[in-house]
Amino acid sequence: MLAINLQILFSGLAVGAIYALVSLGFVLIIRATNVVNFAQGDFPMVAAFAMLTLLSSLKLPYLLSFVLSLAVMAVVGVAFNYGVYYPLRNRTYLPVLISTLGAGIFMQNAVLAIFGPQPHPLPKVFRAQGFQVGGVFLDSQYLLILAVTLVAVGFQYFLFEYTLLGKKLQATSQDKDMARLVGIPVAGMITFTFVYSAALGGLAGILVAPILFVSIGMGSTIALKAFSATIIGGFGDVTGAIVGGLLLGVVEAFAAAYVSVPYKDAFAFLLVFVFLLLRPQGIFGEKVSEKA
Amino acid sequence: MNGSWGAVLAALVLSLPVRTAGADAIKVGLVTEITGPNAESGAYSVNGAKLALEEINAAGGVMGRQIDLKITDSQSTNPGAVLALSKMASEGGYTAFIGPVRSTQIQAMAPTIMKAGLPMMIGGTDPGLTHAKNRWVFRARPSDAYSAKVIAEYGTKTLGRKKWAIVHATDAFGTGGKNALLDALKERGVTPVLVQGFTSNTQDFTPIILAVKQSGADVVGTYIPNSPDVGIFSKQLRQLGVNAEWIGSPSLVTETAMKLGQEALHGIYSVSDFTPDANPEAKAYAEKYRKKYGVAPDFYSSWTYDAMKLVAEAIKKANSTKPEDLRNAILATQGYKGVEGTYNFDKNGDGLHGYNVVKNDKGKVAFITRIDFPPSQESHGGTASGSQ
Repeated sequence: MLAINLQILFSGLAVGAIYALVSLGFVLIIRATNVVNFAQGDFPMVAAFAMLTLLSSLKLPYLLSFVLSLAVMAVVGVAFNYGVYYPLRNRTYLPVLISTLGAGIFMQNAVLAIFGPQPHPLPKVFRAQGFQVGGVFLDSQYLLILAVTLVAVGFQYFLFEYTLLGKKLQATSQDKDMARLVGIPVAGMITFTFVYSAALGGLAGILVAPILFVSIGMGSTIALKAFSATIIGGFGDVTGAIVGGLLLGVVEAFAAAYVSVPYKDAFAFLLVFVFLLLRPQGIFGEKVSEKA
Repeated sequence: MNGSWGAVLAALVLSLPVRTAGADAIKVGLVTEITGPNAESGAYSVNGAKLALEEINAAGGVMGRQIDLKITDSQSTNPGAVLALSKMASEGGYTAFIGPVRSTQIQAMAPTIMKAGLPMMIGGTDPGLTHAKNRWVFRARPSDAYSAKVIAEYGTKTLGRKKWAIVHATDAFGTGGKNALLDALKERGVTPVLVQGFTSNTQDFTPIILAVKQSGADVVGTYIPNSPDVGIFSKQLRQLGVNAEWIGSPSLVTETAMKLGQEALHGIYSVSDFTPDANPEAKAYAEKYRKKYGVAPDFYSSWTYDAMKLVAEAIKKANSTKPEDLRNAILATQGYKGVEGTYNFDKNGDGLHGYNVVKNDKGKVAFITRIDFPPSQESHGGTASGSQ
């Protein structure tokens, strides 16, 4: 029984880590622009197709394909900023939000036109499928996902709290006019945010593709859950989004095992309802200063 | 295909007759997916029908006349399919139609089929399609009622397994299949130890697989339509150490599913309506198809090939192109050896009553056996006097 619960916990954490990675991208853009980017779920998809092309079609080495795919995502991030956000930056949040929706539809159809509707497999990083520890099977890709998420979270914490760039980003998200007055290049900071969150989404896509395969719809379910994690974590709270993502993954896995598999998704959204009702400020509450 | 240009191109292509036949040619209409998301399978269905057409016409046609095949695009949608058939019906001069492979499109077309009053061969596998009191619908593929029977028969009798776990998607296809499999197992005195549904596009099957493992099942029966779901399920099933036999719906041996699941799908069984090695006709067909089109055929092409030949056969036998004569001739078709199996039409208009069992033998689909059931004895909707 213990082994079974540990197995469920492990898969829940791994799936939750993917939610956390994607929700980090959501949070960064919310903080920088006050807008939910509905195309966030399509970044993993685009990156996975980039990886597929470089690795499987062009036969490049794994590491090079990986770096190039993230570079592609950086370009996508810049294009996204100037094509989707920048022209509407002085409008209310609504036009921007619709604009991100449109960008998502565009990305899906562009990929459909180029690659067709069939899903494709992507090789794992490690040759080993995984390890048997006691009664628990640890999938190598799941382990990698957990490890990379930890590193990404650590990196992000360091970036925001201990570097000048991070301080500038924080200042931009708190008060753009004030930031501009003290000489911070606000537009540049926002471009950087889009690049960074596109790369984060891309990272999630490349990590999850060997398990979920490369398909046009691969990002949509993940994005919905990641968005839920963002809400649970408190709209715009980095630590909250990570904890929210992991929590969501684990709750889903155990609800599926002990209550109902078909309604697994419903439990995830039920959790969102509970948080919205009882703790709308999220797990840790928001930084008050951001509300100003 | 990018929408408007594809449509223009298709319109140009379709405005040209497939084969310049004489004025007295017998016209057969094919409604299929030339544009839209299913365009790829539509291309197969055109290829299959054309191959049959060439053979029929090369052999002198029927009743001394050539057959002319007209293709109309369904745009892969229900309204498109209805529109395509209406267009052909109002144009007039047709003898018979070959319809879509999608059950839902055929359901949408049903009133138009009745109004047109001409026999239509269909490829949709929803059992209800031939039980809807529509006397002009004839099926050139086995219905899903038989896939569950074959899965149950092969699993319990040949593999000798009694502890069943059923895993199914909760959509129309998965739930329908699960219910049919429950019935089929019940007939054999088997109550599954586990019945587990899931929503399509599940990212993680760990809880389901652990339940299968705990249930002690020695065979898993599945109705999982989406290839990515099949791929993820298969990998996790083997990773978590379930070594039970696995036998499921045809979706397990599609090229995409096998590409995604790779070795995790080796050794599994599946039912399939078209297998090149199942019979001499299928073998010959696969060779001809590969020679002409350069790719391997699949069931999207094999059933239209059979449908075209069945129509020609019926015209020949009736020695008439009158709808009523043709209808009777199709219903009277018994023992016709097609590439999908031996056609014995029952009174509902169902031509086939069984499936092939195939095995994924190290990534290749190997034919194992064919299981057929006696045709149903219920009556097909309405008699000649009750025509609408």
